[in-house]
Amino acid sequence: MLISRRSVLRTGAVAAGSLVLPRFAIGQTARPSITIAVQKITNSNTLDVLREQSNVGERVFFGSIWESLIGRNLRGQLEAKPLLATEWTRIDDQTVELKLREGVKFHNGDELTADDVVFTFSRERMFGDTQPKNRSTIKVLGQIPTPRAGKELPPEVPAVARRAWPDLARVEAVDEYTVRFYNATPDVTLEGRLLRYGSDIMSRRGWEESASYLDWARKPVTTGPYKVVHFTPDTELLLESHDDYWGGLPPLKQIRFVEVPEVASRVNGLLSGEYQFACDIPPDLIGEIESNAAFEVQGGTIPNHRLTVFDKHHAQLADPRIRRAMTHAVDRQAIVDSLWAGRTVVPAGLQWPYYADMFIADWTVPEFNPELAMSLVKEAGYKGDPIPYRLLNNYYTNQVATAQVLVEMWKSVGLNVQIESKENWAQIMERGETRAVRDWSNSAPFPDPVSSIVNQHGPNGQQQQIGEWENAEMNQLCEFLETSVDRAARRKAFARMLEICEREDPAYSVLHQNATFTAKPKSIQWKAAPAFAMDFGPGNFAI
Amino acid sequence: MIRYIASRLLRAALTIALVVTFAFIVLRLSGDPATIILGPEAPPEAIEAFRHNWGLDRPVLVQYFDYFRAILRGDLGISMRDGRSAIELVGERIPATLALTIPALFLQLAIGIPAGVYAALHQGTAFDRTVMVSAVFGFAIPSFVLALALVLVFSVKLGWLPSGGRDSWMHAILPILTLGLGGAAALARFTRSAMLEVLGRPFIRTASAKGLPWAAVVRGHALPNAAIPTVTLVGFLVGSLIAGAVVVESVFSWPGVGRLLVVAVSNRDLAVVQCLLLLVAASMVTSNLIVDFLYGVLDPRLRQGARAGA
Repeated sequence: MLISRRSVLRTGAVAAGSLVLPRFAIGQTARPSITIAVQKITNSNTLDVLREQSNVGERVFFGSIWESLIGRNLRGQLEAKPLLATEWTRIDDQTVELKLREGVKFHNGDELTADDVVFTFSRERMFGDTQPKNRSTIKVLGQIPTPRAGKELPPEVPAVARRAWPDLARVEAVDEYTVRFYNATPDVTLEGRLLRYGSDIMSRRGWEESASYLDWARKPVTTGPYKVVHFTPDTELLLESHDDYWGGLPPLKQIRFVEVPEVASRVNGLLSGEYQFACDIPPDLIGEIESNAAFEVQGGTIPNHRLTVFDKHHAQLADPRIRRAMTHAVDRQAIVDSLWAGRTVVPAGLQWPYYADMFIADWTVPEFNPELAMSLVKEAGYKGDPIPYRLLNNYYTNQVATAQVLVEMWKSVGLNVQIESKENWAQIMERGETRAVRDWSNSAPFPDPVSSIVNQHGPNGQQQQIGEWENAEMNQLCEFLETSVDRAARRKAFARMLEICEREDPAYSVLHQNATFTAKPKSIQWKAAPAFAMDFGPGNFAI
Repeated sequence: MIRYIASRLLRAALTIALVVTFAFIVLRLSGDPATIILGPEAPPEAIEAFRHNWGLDRPVLVQYFDYFRAILRGDLGISMRDGRSAIELVGERIPATLALTIPALFLQLAIGIPAGVYAALHQGTAFDRTVMVSAVFGFAIPSFVLALALVLVFSVKLGWLPSGGRDSWMHAILPILTLGLGGAAALARFTRSAMLEVLGRPFIRTASAKGLPWAAVVRGHALPNAAIPTVTLVGFLVGSLIAGAVVVESVFSWPGVGRLLVVAVSNRDLAVVQCLLLLVAASMVTSNLIVDFLYGVLDPRLRQGARAGA
């Protein structure tokens, strides 16, 4: 065979063409496959919902792999909706009974039964040797097998599980399709906890047949519309359609998440047709991408708020008037308009509308009032001593730019806030005289204030645990909110908590709601959820 | 000679020990892996459980000595993030990195040395100036800029080559070009300088005066003498084969050692970082030893000096 320069070039061109041809275009007649470029697939290198508690994990888990008994409506406003349970009823203040959806198949072909639910909430899978607050013992129907070698849970898994279910006493199978959750104390948030990240159901047989925890955690057997084919940490996650999915045939044959750390590379890959979705797009690139008529950027607010957090024990912040001045000096809308292209919002304090009847609709963040801020600074007798602001380099989107804006706003009312750049969270949170102001974000994993203000700023929350802030009345209210079943009284208590934490004795200041943006070709019909989760379930993808 | 080798090996071991110690101190003092790996919203109980499990709640000195003892036993530890042995994790990534760096090294040699030699032999010509301008550009442009420029042209505009990933041999072309062009530029400049210096020496004039053909003068006298500084640079390039593609691997989403290093450092995954540093230090030290040996081969004066010293 004669090999000429021309034939080599022709062969190369054909090969290149076939490689860069958009994957979904190859199988137009069948269901398409897509590639999604993300900055990070998971932080923990596992696909275990209890080990990977992160935004990036949420993106690949929900709407694709994992499902809970009660779900969040990803195509609405995250309100509760039946998922693996079709109905649920309160037996009493401490007990919820759920009817399981019949005919749900796991990725291994088994049918979902109450036994799988009981196992999901067992010591072997979830709680290890942790105890609920009242020291009663989790009971599971049947014998709890002693973890085999290699099947021991990583220590953070039981800790996360117990934080999610502090008082869960036991879960029982009433019959093959009915389960009961027994709490040790009265709790109105049980249903909410069932839809939170981490309460998702797995196959008991899938766990038992795995050689080790890590093997299972890299390929969990669940009920979602897509099953894991393989997961190469830090590189790619390949999912394929679970054709027996209870909700109908998934619209995609395969979904491939690839890790592309550089945003420029994600955008280039999208423009060249290698990726159908490019995630984690910073707001300042939205205009540039949309200047190409074939592409659009979707997404928006997620249930996560950006905060400025105060250490009330710092000498300059001990007087609450200084912290109040800091909350009034910030023009939050200006930050949203300038740094977020107006594509997020200033929320009503540390709460979300999906709290439903617990949402305090008439609450707002402290108004932007520089005159009031200046008078508070004056009243407090502030002498201009430096207030350190420990800052990470863009852990959060726009973090450094926001910090610079904040420092200027605080300066304009007479506060001398000085940025100290830090490398990681341990340095940010380290106790010491230079800890005064830092950044943080708070989520609400389930629709109740217990999931956020109590869990993050209450007596067991991070802010109090690391000694930044405490308030006796707030702590009493937290206890009340966790145990009371009087919804009106709980609502009143929550309103008071917002008043304490955001006005009277500021623990933090809410800046804006966080948002995430995903770029895609306009030719793909897909609707982003108001969350990090990417929904590729039946009915949400078409070309 | 045995004494010479022993002293070199001792120095190499000391270098590696210092690298390991330095990395331990810097990584341990700059952040708690528990907070970094579990994230800022992790419950305090989870962080405590993680720290206890990995022994991070013990005094730093105790952790250091335990770690050092383990290294001496050949145990480089378990990745806190992955739960697997650090050696296994690093070993998985080495082939991917070598798949870029070895072809890139050949590309650098294939372009850099002939271009440098030819430019020196034709000093002041248009070719020389073109080579030097290209070399300055190639040397000065950061690899991530060159990488993105190549992607824009060959992936986005022309659609000829993929922009990232490691699905086929075609995915390697742009990363190899990025690494190869930058290195070739440096090598061309080095080679040209070395050649010009040698060409100005009296023995070149003497060889020409004896009536040797110019090609023989260059081949027999100029090239071997100019090779010494060039070999130093090539030795450095060979030593960088393992970890010389950190930026390029990030830009091209290439799952090699460089990306593993970035992720491991940012997560304070000490066992993996130490394993990588040991590997890098070992490859550098080895290539330096080889370069030292090659000096002796290339330069008879060194051989004679060594014999006289012995």
